[in-house]
Amino acid sequence: MTISINQCKHVCQTLLQVGLLCLLAFAAQWLVDRLGLPVPSSVVGLAALFLLLALNWLPERFVAVGATWLLGELLLFFIPPVVASIHYAPLLHQYGVSLMLTLVAGSACVLVSTGFVIDRVFRFERRRQRARRQFGVLQPVKVGE
Amino acid sequence: MPQLLASQGVALACLLTTVVTYFVSKRLYKRYRHWWLSPMIVTPACLVSVVLLFAIPLPTYFAYSHYLSALLAPATIAFALPIYWERHLILRYPMTISIGVLTGLFAGLISSWLLVKVIYLPPELSHSMLVRSVSTPFAIEATSAFGGVPDLTAMLVLVTGILGMLLCAPIFKLARIRSPLAKGAALGASAHGVGAAKAAELGQEEGVVASLTMILTGIAMVIGAPFFAYLLV
Repeated sequence: MTISINQCKHVCQTLLQVGLLCLLAFAAQWLVDRLGLPVPSSVVGLAALFLLLALNWLPERFVAVGATWLLGELLLFFIPPVVASIHYAPLLHQYGVSLMLTLVAGSACVLVSTGFVIDRVFRFERRRQRARRQFGVLQPVKVGE
Repeated sequence: MPQLLASQGVALACLLTTVVTYFVSKRLYKRYRHWWLSPMIVTPACLVSVVLLFAIPLPTYFAYSHYLSALLAPATIAFALPIYWERHLILRYPMTISIGVLTGLFAGLISSWLLVKVIYLPPELSHSMLVRSVSTPFAIEATSAFGGVPDLTAMLVLVTGILGMLLCAPIFKLARIRSPLAKGAALGASAHGVGAAKAAELGQEEGVVASLTMILTGIAMVIGAPFFAYLLV
């Protein structure tokens, strides 16, 4: 097995960028603690990163690789808490059937209601946009009036 | 002293086993594509078996593995990037996305709240249940406002994702939801990351709408949690 220089570079880049995002997470935590903000630090950090990107203060390529890796491996990071839920095994055993029933019914509810509402709203919004576009074609912007 | 060393060794082995199991099951799923080989199912199942089989105490398992969960904080911040990339889509369909986020958020909260009124569940479970349709880092952050347990919440979020993956096809057929964008948003709102991945299989725009719906629903849940908890619990 040979590891090319490009792969090595990619790994280093990912590590550095994940480190940068960790620093941002610490900074957000510090800020929230210091100012006693009612918003959780993760949301503050998210908003800060978005603003940094949107204002072009931070080039996208400084975080893109690290962020993509973190989001791609999200499952890995919450495996430990899932394993820890065996602490509640007797509870899950006792209420297993009711729990599954609630979960299935709830998921079905969310799927149906969201799907149904968006189906209607999206058709309406697209029709409105088309109408607007046609309107633009029929009555071109009057220049120099 | 040797005992301490041994427990440190076991703790380190736990971290390694977790990481290795995850990447191996990911590779397996990529090759065979059976839903029951999904790393969402295989990884926790293997690790729970290992912990039970070797009777590893949970604090030992967590000694090093908690560093993995610590990465949930930067991962949440990383969600800013997909929002930044797809900002034009939010501007193109502002109504679809904002109504999708609100519907998904309230459908998730209210359906779970009503169901646990009818079906009895102990408070640890019924309170952890409320936030289960948003992505894990947001759910873990929001759950304590409702009096939920973070570990149980993580488990419920995972099961919800698996259910969303299995239920979506028959339900869309039954409810006659055909527009791909609606499918995407519904999947993103109900089954978070899993739904977004499934929606990405339907098409590029569907995938993007699903992940935007998922992220924005998560943010709305975290910010609104104290208020919703005041109303519902």
